[in-house]
Amino acid sequence: MIEGRVWTFGDNVPTDEIVPSDLVFKPLEEMAEHVLETRNPEFPKSVEEGDVIVAGEHFGQSSGRAIAPKAVQATGVACVVADSFARTFYRNCFEIGLPVLAREGVTDLVDEGDTVSVDLREGQITNTTTGETIECESVDPFLLEMVESGGLIPYKKQGFSADSD
Amino acid sequence: MTREMNVVEKILARASDRDEVEPGEIVVADVDRAIFHDLSGYITGNVYEEAFEEPIQYPDRVTMVFDHTFSPPNEEQANILESNREFADRHDIGLFDCGNGNIHHVILQNNLVEPGSVVVGSDSHTPVHGVLGSFATGVGNNAHAGMVFPDGQCWFKVPRTVKIEITGSPPPGTTARDIALYLVGEIGEGGANYDALEFSGEYVDGLEFWDRWLLPLITIDVGAKCGYIEPDDETETFLEDRGVSTDRMVKNDPGAEYAEVWEFDVSDVPPQVACPPTVGNVVPIDEVAGTSVQWAELGGHGGGRLEDFELADGVLEERAEDVRFNLVPSSRETFSQALDAGLVDELHEAGGTWFPPSTGSNQAINMGAMTQNEAMISTHARNFPGRNGHPEAKMYLASALTVGASAANGEITDPREYVQ
Repeated sequence: MIEGRVWTFGDNVPTDEIVPSDLVFKPLEEMAEHVLETRNPEFPKSVEEGDVIVAGEHFGQSSGRAIAPKAVQATGVACVVADSFARTFYRNCFEIGLPVLAREGVTDLVDEGDTVSVDLREGQITNTTTGETIECESVDPFLLEMVESGGLIPYKKQGFSADSD
Repeated sequence: MTREMNVVEKILARASDRDEVEPGEIVVADVDRAIFHDLSGYITGNVYEEAFEEPIQYPDRVTMVFDHTFSPPNEEQANILESNREFADRHDIGLFDCGNGNIHHVILQNNLVEPGSVVVGSDSHTPVHGVLGSFATGVGNNAHAGMVFPDGQCWFKVPRTVKIEITGSPPPGTTARDIALYLVGEIGEGGANYDALEFSGEYVDGLEFWDRWLLPLITIDVGAKCGYIEPDDETETFLEDRGVSTDRMVKNDPGAEYAEVWEFDVSDVPPQVACPPTVGNVVPIDEVAGTSVQWAELGGHGGGRLEDFELADGVLEERAEDVRFNLVPSSRETFSQALDAGLVDELHEAGGTWFPPSTGSNQAINMGAMTQNEAMISTHARNFPGRNGHPEAKMYLASALTVGASAANGEITDPREYVQ
């Protein structure tokens, strides 16, 4: 269970705006200082460990580099929830160990500054400020194990407990 | 009796050693080709060597192409390329250094993809290789570092498949690139999220190979996982001329099912322009004609084909005085063909500037940076803010015909004025 303060973002946010492409070879700490700044300049300045991003449709489109979710992770964000994700971003998040959950309509559930709790295993998102809860499809067990292992590389090193057959 | 499957399902079943697969299943499949450019190769190589000590498992299946940086503009970029060369050498993987061309053209023109194969790459436009009837998709640095390099494998969720059926014959002035942009606008960014797209119908059947190539190119822009064209005589002729094996080519089973069929009649589609800030912001050219541009470029993932130089040459005698007109061939082979066809000379005389074969001003690493006040029209595949200099610089995406006509006038120009 993850619980944190909400930052909201709109639809179709590209990875180029999650982290500007001229920073992709810089240290993660430096990238973290610019994450999503073109969408909300306050975000990289004020984001705190354990906060949650709630975004609209197709979050993380454009370039598929895993640097974008790594930079989000480096800001301390504990989880990203969105109406939907771009598939490479979604995949990359699990592979680097950043939990994400997709649920159509989640942007209607919360406002910026609310607190949400996210249960990946059960597939449940609760706005703990308003008390409202929505159910969603739970995450595939293969992906859940991957993210709980800390990402694809540690998951592989421990020998993929399930080949998901 | 196994279930009747389409091209992508059959490839994934064979590559994961199964009789059949169904949409939604997760499979671990053997990878035939993994491709990287200088940026993704650098990041992926570092992730791999931090995590693993052993050499790459199947180095002959891995290829790196330096296409974003065609000539390092500073020491930092030079160091990155040097590090990539050392990585390639250490692991004995194939390397195409600066000046060879755009990653996807180089891979294709060096016969490194076979139909029926599994292709992965960090570049998000990797699905373009589905033009040959392969399963090709973009995956991230950690997927490569965690499974492709050490095991020669990758995990995939079997996608549902949507059939895109295109009929009709567009009017003069509307090219295959316009149809591709039109589809992005109609389907919408994320409109086919996670799906496999089969491009079919009489319009697709009638296209030549390099025009077909523009269709699976756009799959990422509508969120799709992969796109493909079922191999036919056109595909086989293209491959046989190049000496590429068709032994593993697969076709749809007669009873293959689709999650949905989306029909598009392109008979009346006018030239299209994708306007900033996103690739899905596609409008008929009338809505933006007259917009001032300071840059015009034929190049990038979406352009720099021989066909693009031919199209532009047909509508352009001389660029406008205040337009910088960049010409970036997609590969050395293309440049050679453009030379033979007299296009290099003609476009030079028209005031264009030839750049080395590469992916052009994509992300403005070597070229193509803009100020806050500038705008470019190009055949590029992306127009997101900040990819070419200032976040308020504007990038318009269009066909080579429209880019050529706009270069002649210094403003976005409807090419139908020049085409019969």
